[in-house]
Amino acid sequence: MANLDDAHEAAAIVRDAGGQIVGRTRLQKIAFVLEAAGLGSGFPFRYKHYGPYSEQLTAASQRARVLGVMREIESVAAWGGVYSTFTATMPQDSNLDPARRRLAQEMVNADAVELELAATALFLSYESAPDPWGETEHRKPDKAANGRLDRAKQLYQRLRRIQTPQPLPEL
Amino acid sequence: MPKQLRIRDPLHDLIEFDEGSHLENVLWRVIQTRPFQRLRRIKQLGFSDFVYPGATHSRLVHSIGVFHTARRLMKVIEKHVSPYEQARADQALAAALVHDLGHGPFSHAFEALGMRFDLRMADHEAVSDMLIRKSEVAEVLRELGSGFPDDVADIVRSAGTRTIYSAVVSSQFDADRLDYMRRDRLMTGSEHAHIDFEWLVANLEVDMLPYGVDQTPLGQIQTFVLGRKAIFAAEAYVLGLFQLYPTIYYHKTTRGVEKLCIELLARLITLVKDGSIKQVGLPSTHPLVKFAKHPDQIEAALALDDTVVWGALPLFVDAKDECIAHLAKRMRDRQLYKCIDVRARIAHDRGDAEAASPEADAVCGNIRDELVTWSTKHKNGAPRILLDEAVRSPYNRLTETKGPLNQINIRTEGDKLVDLAERSKVVAQLETYKAFRVYYAENDTEAMDQINQIIDARIQRWQT
Repeated sequence: MANLDDAHEAAAIVRDAGGQIVGRTRLQKIAFVLEAAGLGSGFPFRYKHYGPYSEQLTAASQRARVLGVMREIESVAAWGGVYSTFTATMPQDSNLDPARRRLAQEMVNADAVELELAATALFLSYESAPDPWGETEHRKPDKAANGRLDRAKQLYQRLRRIQTPQPLPEL
Repeated sequence: MPKQLRIRDPLHDLIEFDEGSHLENVLWRVIQTRPFQRLRRIKQLGFSDFVYPGATHSRLVHSIGVFHTARRLMKVIEKHVSPYEQARADQALAAALVHDLGHGPFSHAFEALGMRFDLRMADHEAVSDMLIRKSEVAEVLRELGSGFPDDVADIVRSAGTRTIYSAVVSSQFDADRLDYMRRDRLMTGSEHAHIDFEWLVANLEVDMLPYGVDQTPLGQIQTFVLGRKAIFAAEAYVLGLFQLYPTIYYHKTTRGVEKLCIELLARLITLVKDGSIKQVGLPSTHPLVKFAKHPDQIEAALALDDTVVWGALPLFVDAKDECIAHLAKRMRDRQLYKCIDVRARIAHDRGDAEAASPEADAVCGNIRDELVTWSTKHKNGAPRILLDEAVRSPYNRLTETKGPLNQINIRTEGDKLVDLAERSKVVAQLETYKAFRVYYAENDTEAMDQINQIIDARIQRWQT
């Protein structure tokens, strides 16, 4: 079980993204991009087949739920799978960095698959992939299809335009 | 007379590699490589032989068993899928054989160490990937095509288009699980968790299921499903896993030794990083010291296995660092910390139904925080309190991250595919396995009293 600080950090991500995040994938990718931009909470990420993933963030979210600073409601999607909606129940942070808010809110409204693709390309750039977008397409051909990879690139450009303590790299 | 390529296996009996098959000849030679032979010295179940002395089987024999099982699953695909794609099947069979190449000493203990210190070469998925793509394993695999090692590595990493062939390597019915569930049961001597393997395989079919991310649908994916007559075999399969968690994989003693080992190696890494190599009791050329110095080098990781750690124990015992000496002695002599099972105590006080409830989770969280605070304040050489937490579900509902490959779908009389949790009340009722244990040295009565006080107070507060 995660410690109290991590649990509050997990809930704070949801809070700073506007109070609600739909989907575990989205929560993980938002947390990763915040981390990459120097606006994160210190969660370590590793590559899984669904892109950058932090086991510690998952554990922290569970603890946040137990503590009551975050709610998680599960719903059934039209394709048959269960997805989660996270709601923060902690008070707003008056000292919140506006860049963190902007970045999180840009991602919270993004398509989950496109966000996953963008976060994956970013992660792969840190892994020294010579062509992060090409490698992302290679690893996730089904998700990258139907114009989603191009839209993921556009999303990433929008994220890059937000001034952050650690600028997001050009991919 | 040509050389016969065969292995006698306790689970599958005779495993033969077809000498007339180019693929199987190449895979036989993969087995002879250094990275694969290293698996001979990594036990499949880590420290389980502290509880089940027979459970000393290696990741090498398990990997060969996975390959053998994968061949059986390929026959199912050949029967149900047309056209059968031989190239993809070959890649998946190779992936089945090499999927565990990256495991470090005691697998999960080493992985936990990697998480604590952010060591990339302790992440078995990353190491497997590197070994399959760029090592002598890759050189041998390349005889099957210049891109063959990358194709195999992609399947192990679940990259690329997910196909029924990759489901052989990673899905609810993958060859890995079908081997380890049976092998671990056999080698521990456990009599529960039996699965009806032949009936399951005889009733496996292939079909398409929808998948997506969050709310977004992405299409359909081909995977294994079960025929309608396999419902009880499917139930037993899930129940088997449910029984293996508490009795074998998360046995309190096994986990207790694992915790000692993690703390021992963590102390070693900390001291080497601090430049205090002379304190650890090992020469600077020892593979563990080299790894601690260069944890990002694949060669340093490849030099490690279970026997390297066991072989270091007599040296650790004489280490100047008291913590290392203390933990090494305990491991060597099986003088383990005592265990208090917090969830069991909650079950005793509040009833079984409460032990895994959200309220129990909250109580366990509070106990954990208090114990961490106390042990941080009262450090004294070796760790005074070790915590063990585990949450494992034997069967999950269909979720965005795992997708339909993680589900068991059964065909109904009306030819519909239905999730096992909807067909089986037994599976639907299965609770997530949760463990929360606290370990302490038997002669540390102060720690023991403190642990008991904290646990009792928190449970008492819940009751009032």
